[in-house]
Amino acid sequence: MAVKLTLAGETHEIEIVRRRPHLVVRIDGRLHEVADLGATGAGPGAIAVDGEPVPFVRAESLGTTFVRLAGRSFEVRYVDPRDAAEAGSGGRDEIHAPMPGAVVSVHKVAGEAVTRGETVITIESMKLQTALVAPRDGVVGAVLKQEGETFEKDEIVVRLEAIAGDA
Amino acid sequence: MSPATISFGRASAAPEEHFPSAAAAPFRKVLVANRGEIAVRVIRTLRAMGIASVAIHHPVEARAKHVRLADEAVEITGQTPVAAHLDGAQIVEAALRAGADAVHPGYGFLSENAGFARRVAEAGLVFIGPDADTIALMGDKISARDFAAAHGVPVAPSVMPTGDLDAFAAAAAAIGFPLLIKAAAGGGGKGMSIVRAAGDLAEAARIAASEAERYFGDGRVYAEVYVERPRHIEVQVLGDGAGGAIHLFERECSVQRRFQKIIEEAPAANLPEETRAAICEAAVRLAASARYKNAGTVEFILGADGRFFFLEMNTRLQVEHPVTEMITGLDLVRAQIEIAATGRLPLAQAAVRARGHALECRVCAEDPEHDFLPETGAVLCLEVPQAPWLRFENALDEGQKVTADFDPMLAKLVVHGDDRAAAIDRGVAALGALALLGVRTNIDYLAAVLDHPAFRAGDLHTGFVAEHAAALATLPPDSATRDRVLLAAALGLREVRELVEGVPEPHALIGHWRN
Amino acid sequence: MRRLQSMISTSSAEFRRNSAHNRRLVEAFREKQERARHARPQRDLDRLTKQAKMRPRERVEKLLDPATPFLELSSLAANMAYDGDSPSASSITGIGVVSGREVMIRADDSTVKGGAWYPLTAKKIVRALDIAMENRLPVVHLCDSAGGFLQLQSEVFPDRYMAGRIFRNQSILSKMGVKQLSLVFGHCTAGGAYIPGLSDYSVIVRGTGAVFLGGPPLVRAATGEDVTVEELGGADMHTSVSGTCDYPAASEDEAILIGREIVAQWDRPKKWDIQRDAVEEPAYDPEELYGILPDDIKKQFEMREVIARIVDGSRFHEYQPNYGTTLVCGFANIYGFKVGILANNGVLFNDSSLKGAHFIELCNQNNTPLVFLQNITGYMIGREYERKGITKDGAKMIMAQSCSRVPKFTVMCNGSFGAGNYGMCGRAFDGRLLFTWPNHQIGVMGGDQAANTLAEVKVNQMKRNGGTVDQGEVDRVWEDTRKAYHEQLSAYYSTSELWDDGIIDPVDTRNALAVAISASLNAPLGDPGYGVFRF
Repeated sequence: MAVKLTLAGETHEIEIVRRRPHLVVRIDGRLHEVADLGATGAGPGAIAVDGEPVPFVRAESLGTTFVRLAGRSFEVRYVDPRDAAEAGSGGRDEIHAPMPGAVVSVHKVAGEAVTRGETVITIESMKLQTALVAPRDGVVGAVLKQEGETFEKDEIVVRLEAIAGDA
Repeated sequence: MSPATISFGRASAAPEEHFPSAAAAPFRKVLVANRGEIAVRVIRTLRAMGIASVAIHHPVEARAKHVRLADEAVEITGQTPVAAHLDGAQIVEAALRAGADAVHPGYGFLSENAGFARRVAEAGLVFIGPDADTIALMGDKISARDFAAAHGVPVAPSVMPTGDLDAFAAAAAAIGFPLLIKAAAGGGGKGMSIVRAAGDLAEAARIAASEAERYFGDGRVYAEVYVERPRHIEVQVLGDGAGGAIHLFERECSVQRRFQKIIEEAPAANLPEETRAAICEAAVRLAASARYKNAGTVEFILGADGRFFFLEMNTRLQVEHPVTEMITGLDLVRAQIEIAATGRLPLAQAAVRARGHALECRVCAEDPEHDFLPETGAVLCLEVPQAPWLRFENALDEGQKVTADFDPMLAKLVVHGDDRAAAIDRGVAALGALALLGVRTNIDYLAAVLDHPAFRAGDLHTGFVAEHAAALATLPPDSATRDRVLLAAALGLREVRELVEGVPEPHALIGHWRN
Repeated sequence: MRRLQSMISTSSAEFRRNSAHNRRLVEAFREKQERARHARPQRDLDRLTKQAKMRPRERVEKLLDPATPFLELSSLAANMAYDGDSPSASSITGIGVVSGREVMIRADDSTVKGGAWYPLTAKKIVRALDIAMENRLPVVHLCDSAGGFLQLQSEVFPDRYMAGRIFRNQSILSKMGVKQLSLVFGHCTAGGAYIPGLSDYSVIVRGTGAVFLGGPPLVRAATGEDVTVEELGGADMHTSVSGTCDYPAASEDEAILIGREIVAQWDRPKKWDIQRDAVEEPAYDPEELYGILPDDIKKQFEMREVIARIVDGSRFHEYQPNYGTTLVCGFANIYGFKVGILANNGVLFNDSSLKGAHFIELCNQNNTPLVFLQNITGYMIGREYERKGITKDGAKMIMAQSCSRVPKFTVMCNGSFGAGNYGMCGRAFDGRLLFTWPNHQIGVMGGDQAANTLAEVKVNQMKRNGGTVDQGEVDRVWEDTRKAYHEQLSAYYSTSELWDDGIIDPVDTRNALAVAISASLNAPLGDPGYGVFRF
């Protein structure tokens, strides 16, 4: 599958077309021959593209690669295909209790927006408090358990509003 | 200019000539009451002069460059890192504990705080800068203005507001529009606004007064003639505190954004010799009249008609001092220390020479595409070009975080050339070769400014950035460059390298094939 | 190694005639293959789209590393069975590269009757797993099948090498330390549930994937329990409650990505140290093969010309060049791998049989894989040869070949008849992979020969029983025999019945052998040892 990168808000695909005798790639329909791939890692480097040496300085952190090339600086984001596949699917609509217990505090109400990873409800069980988070960006549909209420393992405690268009 | 004539720490003469009574260094130990780039700069000269240095730092910057370079370090605390650096009492306490003889305040923070200068002096330490009274005089914009006018320095016609707003409005109208409303106790662009019509004056004055009250604790504002397409020209002066003063030529700092300078140069471009002489002479007259001690800068605005007006005097070393150093061959920090120690100017006016042209670009963590809003990130990679005519003043460490704790200015790139065109070419090339990756910066924007025909022609004024905003906006890269950028990025990623290199032979050789 | 010198003229009338003939055959083959791979009723494709499912071939392509070869096996399996209702036997198998590792891919084709298993489907899957076992190739199963084709269950279910063998092979693969991954895209019902069940890793797509021994209708009929597909065997239940599957995937794309990441965790197998040289393209154009192969099966052709268009640099080190000349033996490289080639230039005589046996011994001694290029009508018959012991000598060759420890590969180039098939490593002799060319024919004897033989038998029978010979009936016997043989001799019949691992375009032979040889290097060579030669 193609490698997806985002530059200046636009997503581009890089496909590997051939590896020998040189690496040949296709970017948005254009073919390029690439040689002298060099090492990975931060700092100055160079690759040969279509026979011409292309010097650059590069550094990467948490999926964003900063590249300085031809006297300009750019930021390229790597789109992890699994994140894209996961995001496209809509994810889960429910938060289940991982074990039996009781609700300590409810942080969101129905209709409130949440982001993926944001704590929606704090529960307690076996003297341990756990924060239950939203599995995806969305809107809280219903909070099924209030403070002090108990629940069983796997019981649904919060439901997110379904995304329109989901099968 | 060859390397031999730019010398830092060994200005123009041996120490004995300056300190006939002390063959050794003027101070044993100096505490640098600052941080970042200027602290590194001051410590460099201290080291060259054989003077021990003490750095101060907030816990968040315990491993910063200026701390590591100093001989000693003292931790200071505060609600925020900035608050710590504004805690004069704590800093003086630190200096005494460390056994320092003198305090260098750098720029910003407490450098123009008369109370701090007084506190330092009362503690028996030498404040490397002017007297507290001089700081107070020049720190108050209105009193400074009055002083300048009284001593033959041209000032912009202006009006002080009284309780009677109508009278104020009438007097302001007499000056003529457009007018500039400014805060008396302010600076840095706060509490300023331009009024073009009489009808807007009252409201503008009210807003400016409330802003001034909020930022400076002093709601006094005044109205001044607003010069169209003004040029910001400033003069570096040195005073001996006894009425003696010299100038080290002028600098131009017209290219500004958010009322802050981003490009400075020395000397000013296309300046008629008489104008230069008049401005420098006025600056010296002001410094001498004020019995100014140590280094300072007198700022003027220059109109297209050749009229110039006193703006303010900064009683400290300025950010852009390196451009003066590069054309005169002098170490200004050394000059400050020598004046503070001996009370004598390091050289006579006749000995001051300028050669060639110097430019400074302030590299800031900001996004020129989005109104220069500050950016955060990290210095993942730093590649600095090296040349004898190039200085990269910074306190950066590869890997350090760039946070909102301190000012967005990361570094200063300073270049020198035989003439202005050569300096500009070198500046553009150096900015192109400079790589600071991991946080958005204005590096490419600065290069675009330097390369702009209006800049090259010297057609500068403080509205330069706004006037040429469209021309300076970055264009999207062409597809060839874009592909190269994508490839350079992709081939640094482990996932992509695995995909490229992980296929064994003979499959890699056969390539795509279906039977 | 010296380069073979080609003696043919590419501009001769014969060459051009052959070329036209063989190109037509290859074109016909490609058309058949294209239909078997892609032609499906529109309503079946629409159903797939509505279920948000990908076409099985699309899944395979996405699974494979970009810019790598995929050697598909038996693409025309079942092409002459079941009235053509099961193109490719409802199954896609082949050797490819996933995350840098060589794997055997086996996918159900749910665009054919929901992916139901016909008898030949089971045979094809068992064959794929046999190849995996013999070559220690990890397996990736892409599961999406409705289960056994019930109308033919007696041919799918009960016997030793039918469907049950799939699960037996899976277990033995696991015992051998060869990994298996299942990507569950559809239903795995009844026996089919054991494919992910016996896999070391399994990924299941939420909403469309399901694993259960009995589906909801069967459960309702058996116990009255009412339960949905998701509740009974869906992704969430199996990945969080029963532990039958390891990873839930929200989509088919995600399942494939997870699968690739799983394979990326697998250790790379140690290959045995085969001799490898730098790769060289053949000096002669492989397309000239079309002009070398005759347009009539009875015509002879020079095998060295074929070899010259397959091997690296057309270089060939011929062994015993002056002896046993009807069997060409020698060393060559294919994509850098050193191989020993045996190729027929006529029937096998005593000397060629002995030479073959000896050369096979040498290759075993040298750890050199064997490549058999077959064009054989049989061993020589006749009194002189029987007295010289042709049977004994043929037996020596069969013994040497059968007991070889090095991998063996067979390409059936033109004809494979009678005992010649045996000596030259036919299907029964456990070559790692066996391919046929579209012009090829295979049978115990040729069609004409069989028709003549059976006609003669009929004539003798009539003479014994009455006296008169009914020429009409003799002719009918002759005609019927010829027709039956014509159908059953063809490469299409052979490939339909899975007597080979696929028809390939002669031009593709080089790449196919390269992929095959590379795949065979995972399995360690067995211990040397032969049975007794009867000299």
